Amino acid sequence: MKVLVPVKRVIDYNVKVRVKSDGTGVETANVKMSMNPFDEIGIEAALRLKEAGSAEEVIAVSIGVAQCQETIRTALAMGADRGVLVETEEGAEPLAVAKILKAIIEKEGPEIVILGKQAIDDDSNQTGQMLSALLGWSQATFASNIELGDGTADITREVDGGLETIKVKLPVVVTTDLRLNEPRYASLPNIMKAKKKPIDKMSPADLGVDMTPRLKTLSVVEPSKREGGVKVESVEELVEKLRNEAKVI
Amino acid sequence: MTCEDEGNHYGFTLSDELIMIRNQVRRFMREEVKPIEDKLPHDATHCSPEDEARLRGVAEDMGLGRLNVPPEYGGQDNDCLIRCIVNEEASKCRLGGYRPALGAIRRGPPNVIWRGTDEQIHKYGIPCVEGDMTGYMAITEPTGGSDPRNNIQTRAVKKGDKWILNGRKMWITYAGDSDWGVLFARSKESENGRPPEITAFIIEPSFPGISFEKIPVIRPLYPYEIVLEDCEVPEENVLGEIGGGFGMAEHWLVAGRMPYAAGCIGMAQEALDMACGWVKQRDSQRGILADKQAIQWMIADSEVELQAARMLVYEAAAMSDRGENAKVHASVCKLFGTETAFRVVDRAIQMFGGMGVAQEMPLERWLRELRIKRIGEGPSEVHRMVIARNKLKNTDGGVYFG
Repeated sequence: MKVLVPVKRVIDYNVKVRVKSDGTGVETANVKMSMNPFDEIGIEAALRLKEAGSAEEVIAVSIGVAQCQETIRTALAMGADRGVLVETEEGAEPLAVAKILKAIIEKEGPEIVILGKQAIDDDSNQTGQMLSALLGWSQATFASNIELGDGTADITREVDGGLETIKVKLPVVVTTDLRLNEPRYASLPNIMKAKKKPIDKMSPADLGVDMTPRLKTLSVVEPSKREGGVKVESVEELVEKLRNEAKVI
Repeated sequence: MTCEDEGNHYGFTLSDELIMIRNQVRRFMREEVKPIEDKLPHDATHCSPEDEARLRGVAEDMGLGRLNVPPEYGGQDNDCLIRCIVNEEASKCRLGGYRPALGAIRRGPPNVIWRGTDEQIHKYGIPCVEGDMTGYMAITEPTGGSDPRNNIQTRAVKKGDKWILNGRKMWITYAGDSDWGVLFARSKESENGRPPEITAFIIEPSFPGISFEKIPVIRPLYPYEIVLEDCEVPEENVLGEIGGGFGMAEHWLVAGRMPYAAGCIGMAQEALDMACGWVKQRDSQRGILADKQAIQWMIADSEVELQAARMLVYEAAAMSDRGENAKVHASVCKLFGTETAFRVVDRAIQMFGGMGVAQEMPLERWLRELRIKRIGEGPSEVHRMVIARNKLKNTDGGVYFG
């Protein structure tokens, strides 16, 4: 069984994101980029399926600019077997990404696709759901545990107020939540080996996918700065401010 | 490492693999090391054995447990540049000066042990890689360490099947806490104008006639004095050829200089990065500190000097990995790396003001460590001497004064 894991190149989670001065987006020039952390969890989940003998091959797919190859290399260094890079302009939308993934999945024939529940740059939380609808596959979002059965999977989902376990038929689209696992470090020998693993390159046109944007970004603004606090003289003053200024009591 | 492409020199670009290794070590430092270090006292010299074992386990899985170990014993050849990249990042912690990543990444035995007999390698070398054994090197004496061949006054005299050693070693880091060491002694006096012969011996703390004394110094990890009084060393503990010690000492010294400089650069880079965060939020008269030219110049100079220092390390390490003689380049990067790092940390302290010397910050500790780094592994002046001699030897006046 093949497992396919899409991996997105995003601004590193330790970087303080800045809005471009013209308000058209966020600054990505000279900014450290890495794999979306939820996708790292996806790779880890796929590798564990392989190590448990449930999967034979783990394929990492990235869609975006040429440098997404680095993101795929990271997945390969963690242990994925090979990569697919679909080169596009920056800012492919979730629907276009889902369509590209559908085309690759039809070629590769995986039975499980594990995506991050969202990417930490645009927080869309759409691609996995759109992909399962386009494919007509089962869908299990926000997974915190995956148990494979015979042609089925028991997936524990993190929902408001607790955990929900669902049984789905394979093939399935799974999206990962934070507590599914802790991704491994890529080891020095595996980093060196990753260089030799193959990466197929293609374009959306090769896959017959229309990339025309459906969304229009009107403006991007930074969150308003936090204002400094004030010291109050007495409990009465505090209560007065909580009631009349903050309006919380 | 890509430094040459089809014979054309394009300067240094780290390979994707090395960048990935650097990123992995950064994540390891942030996610595994920092939380443990946060609980340690300011001047701690180590974390708990349990924490160290756990960290080592992770580092081992990352493949960082066998750096500076030959391929026959699970390491790889020519890993000097890798060690520099790892050491720069792993030194970015309070104990970074001598226990990178809180000891998670093993020091490995002194590299000269791999030049020993099979028996010596199995008894002393491999247990440092597979187990918890540690070793040290003892070269310097009260008479100095910069000219080992002539400074070494410790005498070794053969008696039956034993060598009898008499003398003292100074400033030997780890000596009193290790399972064995490689100690250099004079086995033959100079005669007919030929220099004295130096031989290397593997010594154990249990050998009769050896004792260790801590020497309190500016940093919390104290080095040792070793006293040898008719210390008996079995014949099989001679390392390498009798009289071949000097070359071995140099092999160890040169190979250690690039990662040594890289570690210093790591601490200084972190100090500079911390200072940048601070000056952007520190109010001063009419604006924040970051807007003052005096501060900006300190930041610019520090950044430029660190970049230059790092390039010198990469160049020396890449030469060493290509199997070239990197002795002079090692001196260049050791001199510039340690001097730069000290200067940069000193500036960072200046930018922080009072907080810079507070024990809440790692800065004052790094300054103390870095003061030693300008002396240890050959003081700056000795490296300048090496560089100047080499330059003068190979340079005769250029084009205009030929």
